[in-house]
Amino acid sequence: MAEYPWPWQYNFPPFFTLQPHEETRQQQLEVWADLFLKYLKDKNRFSLSIGDQNSPLFHNESLKRRLSPEFVLTILGELERTGHANPLDKRRQEWQVYWFTLEDYGNMVYDWVQVTGQTNTICTLYEIASNEENSHLGFYGVDEAVLLSALRLLEEKGRCELIEMDGSHGVKFF
Amino acid sequence: MRRRVGLGAIQQQKLAAEKYKDKGTVLQESQLEQMTKQMEVFRVKLEEFAMKHKEDIRKNSQFRKQFQEMCAAIGVDPLATGKGFWSVLGMGDFYYELGVQVVEVCLAANHNTGGFMELDDLRVRLIAARGLSSVHQEITKEDILMAAKKLSIFGNGFVVHKLGKGKYIVQSIPGELSMEETNILNAASNTEQGCVTPSQLIEDLGWTDYRAQQALDKLLGEGLCWIDKQTGDEPAYWFPSLFPDRRGRSVISSK
Repeated sequence: MAEYPWPWQYNFPPFFTLQPHEETRQQQLEVWADLFLKYLKDKNRFSLSIGDQNSPLFHNESLKRRLSPEFVLTILGELERTGHANPLDKRRQEWQVYWFTLEDYGNMVYDWVQVTGQTNTICTLYEIASNEENSHLGFYGVDEAVLLSALRLLEEKGRCELIEMDGSHGVKFF
Repeated sequence: MRRRVGLGAIQQQKLAAEKYKDKGTVLQESQLEQMTKQMEVFRVKLEEFAMKHKEDIRKNSQFRKQFQEMCAAIGVDPLATGKGFWSVLGMGDFYYELGVQVVEVCLAANHNTGGFMELDDLRVRLIAARGLSSVHQEITKEDILMAAKKLSIFGNGFVVHKLGKGKYIVQSIPGELSMEETNILNAASNTEQGCVTPSQLIEDLGWTDYRAQQALDKLLGEGLCWIDKQTGDEPAYWFPSLFPDRRGRSVISSK
């Protein structure tokens, strides 16, 4: 597997220490937030556990620098603020992280439904996320849990209705 | 010989002195005239030269360097004299243009460099920004220094610091660097990675513990350096602008 193309900051030792200077810290958090999203997108992952201390994302082995759990939490907080992450548990240890915001995912799926004329039919989540014909669309390959959250948001707006069938989900668009 | 005395002799002496004076004035005048003529010839020749080689001047870095040396030798600042015959060479325009580009490049990279850029780095970025034709490529470090030094007349927002060993760093954020801070920058620029620790300053500069810590805290407080607390030992202070890996990547990505 090819090595992930880390940005130069990943090899800059102080990058792993939360900076005390306000402006510098803001820049640092932005670069980290961007790196988190790009890294997870590259690995096609949609969740992060703060306890996963051995992930290369938290730990630059050759540099012997790592992100403290508090630092990771700060970065995830930044992503939550911009709508790209959501804590899954009360202790904020397990996180859902997504490349597009939930609203973007919802809109993309809804646009696709409109264009392909699938309103008033029932789709499974699998059909939406794993349909080969959708491989050019932003939501192709999206984690079903993330898709579900996006559809819930859409449901609140009255554009679709989620239906539970034998433990899996279907959705009907209006 | 009999001494000449009497009124007649005094009058004669006076007359002679006057004649000498007159002759002196004439000589002086003719010298001045000659000088003026020479200057006139020089000016005409220089103008001819400038007309003939205008393109070369803009292109040829070697020429500019020698021209600068010549100006320094005869005490003329080619940039300060916007009027007058030096301007026909178009020397000023070249440096003004370069100066503006220096500002642009530095400000565009400020968020990344924290307001410091090494001269070599600046040159690489300038060349990338100036386009691919060879006219724009041939700029030397001296050219950039010349242009950048002129920028300091706009206040302390733009200063060139000499770091020794032919290294320069261009500061593009407002604020004066104290001697302490300049010394720290200097020490960091002599390391491979561009970082310093308090004990390094204590050892290299003979500073006290307190002085080193104070100076480093000040740099940190101004957002000019980054702190690394995971060294296992005392913290290290890093300058992004001096970090070699950043330059390598940024050059590639800007193409």
